[in-house]
Amino acid sequence: MTFSDTSAMAPFIAAVLVSAAVILVDLVWPGRKTAALTATFVGLAIVAALTVAVGQSGTTAFGGSYRVDALTTFLDLLFVAIAALTAAFAPDYLGERGLPVAEFNAVLVFAMAGAMLIAGAADLIVLFLGLELMVLPGYLLAGYHKTDGFSTEGAIKYFLLGSFSSAIFLFGIAFMYGMTGTTRIDAVAANLTAVVAGTAPFSPGLGLGLAFLMTGVAFKIAAVPFHYWTPDAYQGSPTPVTGYLSVGPKVGAFAVIIRLFAGALLPMAAQWNIAVMVLAALTMTLGNLVALTQDNVKRTLAYSSIAHTGYMLVGFAAFAAGQIQGLEGLLYYGAAYAFMNLGAFAVIGAIQRKTGVTSNLSTFAGLVRREPALAWLMFLFLLSLTGIPPTAGFFGKFYIITAAVQAGKTDAWLYVLAVLAVLNAAAAAFYYLRIVVYMFMRDPDTETSVAAHGRLVWTGLAVTTVMTIVLGLFPGVLLDAVATAAKAIG
Amino acid sequence: MTASGLPLITIVTFLPLVGAIAVAFTNGAKPNQARYVALGFALVAWVVSLLMLGGFVTASGTQFRETYQWIPAFGINYSVGADGLSLVLVVLTTTLSWISILASFSPIQNRVKEYMVSFLVLEVGMTGVFVAQDLFLFYIFWEIVLVPMYLIIGIWGGKNRIYATIKFVLYTLVGSLLMLVAILATAFIYQSGHNGSWQNAFDLGSLIAWAQQGHFNGSFGILAFGAFALAFAIKVPMFPFHTWLPDAHVEAPTAGSVILAGVLLKLGGYGFIRFALPLFPEAAHWWAPLIIVLSLIGIIYGAIVALVQPDLKKLVAYSSVSHMGFVTLGIFAFQQQALQGAILQMVNHGLITGALFLLVGVIYERTHDRTIAKMGGLGSATPVYAAALGFFVFASVGLPGLSGFVGEFLTLLGTFAAIPAAAVVATFVMIFSAGYLLWMLQRVAFGELSEFLRGLGDHLTDMKPVEAMTLVPLGALVVVLGLFPGLILGLISGSVNATLAAVGQAAPIALGLWR
Repeated sequence: MTFSDTSAMAPFIAAVLVSAAVILVDLVWPGRKTAALTATFVGLAIVAALTVAVGQSGTTAFGGSYRVDALTTFLDLLFVAIAALTAAFAPDYLGERGLPVAEFNAVLVFAMAGAMLIAGAADLIVLFLGLELMVLPGYLLAGYHKTDGFSTEGAIKYFLLGSFSSAIFLFGIAFMYGMTGTTRIDAVAANLTAVVAGTAPFSPGLGLGLAFLMTGVAFKIAAVPFHYWTPDAYQGSPTPVTGYLSVGPKVGAFAVIIRLFAGALLPMAAQWNIAVMVLAALTMTLGNLVALTQDNVKRTLAYSSIAHTGYMLVGFAAFAAGQIQGLEGLLYYGAAYAFMNLGAFAVIGAIQRKTGVTSNLSTFAGLVRREPALAWLMFLFLLSLTGIPPTAGFFGKFYIITAAVQAGKTDAWLYVLAVLAVLNAAAAAFYYLRIVVYMFMRDPDTETSVAAHGRLVWTGLAVTTVMTIVLGLFPGVLLDAVATAAKAIG
Repeated sequence: MTASGLPLITIVTFLPLVGAIAVAFTNGAKPNQARYVALGFALVAWVVSLLMLGGFVTASGTQFRETYQWIPAFGINYSVGADGLSLVLVVLTTTLSWISILASFSPIQNRVKEYMVSFLVLEVGMTGVFVAQDLFLFYIFWEIVLVPMYLIIGIWGGKNRIYATIKFVLYTLVGSLLMLVAILATAFIYQSGHNGSWQNAFDLGSLIAWAQQGHFNGSFGILAFGAFALAFAIKVPMFPFHTWLPDAHVEAPTAGSVILAGVLLKLGGYGFIRFALPLFPEAAHWWAPLIIVLSLIGIIYGAIVALVQPDLKKLVAYSSVSHMGFVTLGIFAFQQQALQGAILQMVNHGLITGALFLLVGVIYERTHDRTIAKMGGLGSATPVYAAALGFFVFASVGLPGLSGFVGEFLTLLGTFAAIPAAAVVATFVMIFSAGYLLWMLQRVAFGELSEFLRGLGDHLTDMKPVEAMTLVPLGALVVVLGLFPGLILGLISGSVNATLAAVGQAAPIALGLWR
């Protein structure tokens, strides 16, 4: 390990250290929420600063198995933001239920470190390590409310299917290694280029490897028909965790897709892109259709998150068809989705602050009279999730559909996907607006007392609100970043 | 910008937004604060729009232009401007907005602050649609309109409001999202034709110039026009996309109906004239026969269904379907008088139907019922009200001397020159129009005071000054524009000629046999 290795990986190393530090702080001042939270936020600020400092240097570490480029920086900063917002939203909810805050933050930061490892992976083994490091803490978080049966049930489902899919994914990596003789991402790509050019033999094992890898990541992003774990895991988890799970591991899994399919497997895009397009079409449509029939808001948003996976896959399919804008759109959408979805879950979490408050639609009845600020914020996030301008969600959709329409020139199926995506957006409006109907247009069944919300929750909500509006009105602030990040791959 | 250097369009568009923010800071316990602040801002926006009218130079096309870079990566600009057509519709919007706000003072007693905020945001969206010169900007305003209207119907509407508002949003959203794909595809074709540069790819002027060279012809144009036309047809609404309208109208609060009929429906007609026709001239001719047939069906269907409506508001709503059919008919005749007539008809329908909805609201506030069968004899009990109703009913029927007549007459005249058969059919339907409106007037105003109304006793008062204040300006405009239609025709002549130059005068080929 040389100094340059360390400096390239400094943000990741710092993230792991922050996680350890939070536990240490809790050992020194047991049960002191403020201390643990301070350690978390200061630590995350340091990680963010280091990420910016290491910058887009293009340096590699550990013999080329880890690489820092503009994409790494972009994703790392997004992961830090997601972790920080989750840490801001959680304490109110956890504290009320007697769940420890320090451990939560430590596990959360650990998961973030895993995601950061994915973002910088230049080797399939590192990629897998990062993936596992990201999802294992996720299982813990899903079952964090250990006295709650639903939380445990969701966690077990998540764990079983998650490990299963990890195994499939690993199997795919093994095939790739067997067929190409390397795990280095650029070497795999070079090898596959030769295969596509006909200078190296194509073997069925390669096809199997592709299929396994595709299946593995499809599980992780919860693409239909590999989504069955999502609704239960999302509904059962403590609400702040649901918010995190719907965003952090999802963007992380997309980072896997980008590093793997856009990096290592791009030469064979013509072979696998049809699968991506079918997945995208199924995922958006089924996610939305099932969401229409839900009467629990967390479950609705779980299915809606499946639909959003589908939109992002449309962007990726456009990229695979040769439009760099598809990747840019995917990254933009990922960021927009992170803020608006975290915001929406923060509102749900705030409403559920008191123990025993369900996330059923009826809880939202007449919310605007009880907590007008939360209701209006939720309205904004739901508009953004629907894709109504001028919000972040709209510009994300705009970006992805632009890319799909452009790619339609080379592959006409992408026209179909673009039209399907907007029709889905219209269908989604129905269930998002139904929540609005409950909040604004119905009277509550019973009078529920208003809970006070901590300063952290309001700060986090302010951040997600501002980002949701700014990314919609002034997308220019992020366009350069996503363009350079996408160029790092393309 | 004008000679005075003030960015008048930006002011008139975003002043209501400032108003909305101001209203949000008023004291919720004192609803009058919200009411007067909202009215104040709407009035100032109205005055600014009148200033624009004063500063408008008839002969020089799109004016008051402001262009700033917004999202350079996609060549998207904040670009606004107004020609005669835009200006007329902006003034219609600002006028109806303050009237609607004033008309909401007494009916809306619940969550006044949020209501006024919604209304002012609605005004921003509507004005923005009429002045946007960039397709992206246009789309944003187009969608913004949806949100406050959704709340206005859904929160302050009648019994079935939730069903009505969701139907309204979903219908509109399906159309507009497909239009978004068409907008993107159009911009992309422009971009590919300019060496991959996004510069001006969403700029309306550049796109129309590009369209004139035939770049949007062929099957792409037909598909893209179809997507635009669907969005506009739903808004107008054309048969068979009209089913959201009666629901939305019946459930919306009075002022919501006024704005819905007065401005929102005009967004569709405006969209056809401003975007669909000049961008896809070839496709417009290809689609014209279908649209003309649908317009005729709409005219007839709306009139017949209105004839049998037991509910006063539903009757006016279906009459909208019929009247707006004249607008699309006039637009797709591709003929000067017909297009002039269509635009006049849009303005007149906004004024007259807006007034009719206000009048329905006036009686509803007293009776809490809109069933025609329960009315009767209002002429003796509330003479002023009955006179006002009679006046606007005659205006709607198309009595010469009032503005409704000029629009329909010009539309039919122009259509007759282009497609005689369609004009003949439409003219006969005007008899129906007289039928359902006059019959309604007879049942409501004439005869003896009905049992139901007598039971109201002292509650059945005649018009209050505030209510009269909302109707007098509309009535005055109806008379003035009826006697001097040249006021508007002069303003819009440039827009009409530009549109016809872009789309071509020829009558649709498939209807050539009808000549």
